[in-house]
Amino acid sequence: MQVYLPIAEMSVDAMLLLGIGFGVGWLSGLFGVGGGFLLTPLLILVGIPAPVAVASGANQTLGASVSGLIAQWRRGNVDPRMGLVLLAGGFLGSALGVTLFAWLRRQGQVDLAVSIFYIVVLGSVGGLMVRESVRAILRRRRSGGPARLHAHLWMHGLPFKLRFRKSRLYISVIPPMVVGFGIGVLSAVMGVGGGFMLVPAMIYLLGMPTAVVIGTSLFQVVFVAANVTLLQAVQTGSVDIVLTLLLLVGGVAGAQFGASMGTRLRGEETRALLGLLVLGVALSLLWGLVATPESLFAIGPIPT
Amino acid sequence: MRRWQAVLLALGLLLPLAGGAAHAQAPLPPPPPPAPGNPAAARPPLVAELSHQRVDITTGFSGTELLVFGATERLLGGEGGDDVLVVVQSGAEPMIVRRKIRVLGLWFNGPSARFRQVPGFYLMAGTRPLRDMLPPEEREAKRLGLEHLPLQSLGIQDPDYRQALMKLKQDARLWHEEEEAVQISGARLFRARLPLPATTDTGDYQVQVMLVRAGRVVARQELGFRVERVGAAARIADVAAAQPVLYGFACILLAAFAGWFGSVLFRRG
Repeated sequence: MQVYLPIAEMSVDAMLLLGIGFGVGWLSGLFGVGGGFLLTPLLILVGIPAPVAVASGANQTLGASVSGLIAQWRRGNVDPRMGLVLLAGGFLGSALGVTLFAWLRRQGQVDLAVSIFYIVVLGSVGGLMVRESVRAILRRRRSGGPARLHAHLWMHGLPFKLRFRKSRLYISVIPPMVVGFGIGVLSAVMGVGGGFMLVPAMIYLLGMPTAVVIGTSLFQVVFVAANVTLLQAVQTGSVDIVLTLLLLVGGVAGAQFGASMGTRLRGEETRALLGLLVLGVALSLLWGLVATPESLFAIGPIPT
Repeated sequence: MRRWQAVLLALGLLLPLAGGAAHAQAPLPPPPPPAPGNPAAARPPLVAELSHQRVDITTGFSGTELLVFGATERLLGGEGGDDVLVVVQSGAEPMIVRRKIRVLGLWFNGPSARFRQVPGFYLMAGTRPLRDMLPPEEREAKRLGLEHLPLQSLGIQDPDYRQALMKLKQDARLWHEEEEAVQISGARLFRARLPLPATTDTGDYQVQVMLVRAGRVVARQELGFRVERVGAAARIADVAAAQPVLYGFACILLAAFAGWFGSVLFRRG
């Protein structure tokens, strides 16, 4: 069944979009991440223009993360104070990111920039995840595994200290602001929520307890994705609500299946698999940039 | 389906004309021109019509096909017969053509040429190849065929960019040149298919039907149709363009609601 996307100005098979939504939702339920980093490249692969894929991907991430946030909030796993600090950085970052995106679009380099961002970010995150999880698996085989204590890093002593009760931290607001800012920029340029980067940053850089990490990262992801959606709608006009809703329908269904399967997998193995998946996406995007294109020319409307 | 309905409609409309033709057909060479000073007997040399005046882009739109059809007074095709030429064009818009270059092993979008007036859709079809119908001067004067499209580029004046534009537009099924001939039936009826892909522009399309005799255009008729988004697709695109802030908030709320509602639905099920 073909469906016409009013903003992308093209028609796509609705079943294909539902299928992509389902697959990405399934993986995100399995691994506990938003899945935006898989969704945007897949959309570009099936021929959705990069600006629409990025903007609608952010919108989809928002929808996909809302139910998770509600569930985590009910269980008291959200640190609202930390969330707001992250968010303050995130809003600034996403505003800058959308401006950067609009500028890249005028230069005609959006596709390239999105690909490079994905390759660098996914390549490094995927590599780190695989390395870390393989080490954890090996360590578990050797011994019972030492408990990780939260280390005090030099940056936690910076000025503007604030007490984060839920996270049991008394640290400077600068590191969380910087983390939030960085994720905000990536969120705008890549159309992702950034959960796959935010979670490790919160655990290893900020030293937050694992229990509140998922809920607080969802808090940040929902609001930053909402901000990106609004800014993209205003600045580039490339949010396609029909595309978003089709992806969400498939994604929400897939996430339930994935989540029930995910409980049967062990943490380290899950992280290793996710790391491999992330690396795979990065490699396929790299191939797209290195391989000689079919046509040496590209045409497009003149961006305003 | 729709195409056959259109053909039937065409034949139904033209039957009176075709009947008249059957009478006049007795002497095989073209009938002598009507005696001067007898306006009642003067029939238009060319009559053409479109199967649709409007193409609606709904949320289910996946491309469509129109039909141009008509009849001529004199015989079409064969030795010494008239020819029909159909040219369809949509509104022109500025386009940019970028050449990809390799830097450090990666492909970048490099230098670009801007074309001020590029028709979104272009189709040309004739009962015979254009080269056989019209001499080069006539083709150039009337700007017929892709090679005579008035595409001025700003900046780089490299013919490669123009070639690339033509090839990519043709690959996208947006520009067609003589891919399919205008069909003749009964030596007086003609019809041509206009395939519109899903990516076709909205707006007004101009259809010119020309009667060609002995290397000259002797009659022409201008028709037109309009491609418009309707229903939900139109409303979404309109709101997104006119009220981006409102549209942005609506997208946020809809996505949030869909995510929440979906999870409630599937958890129960």
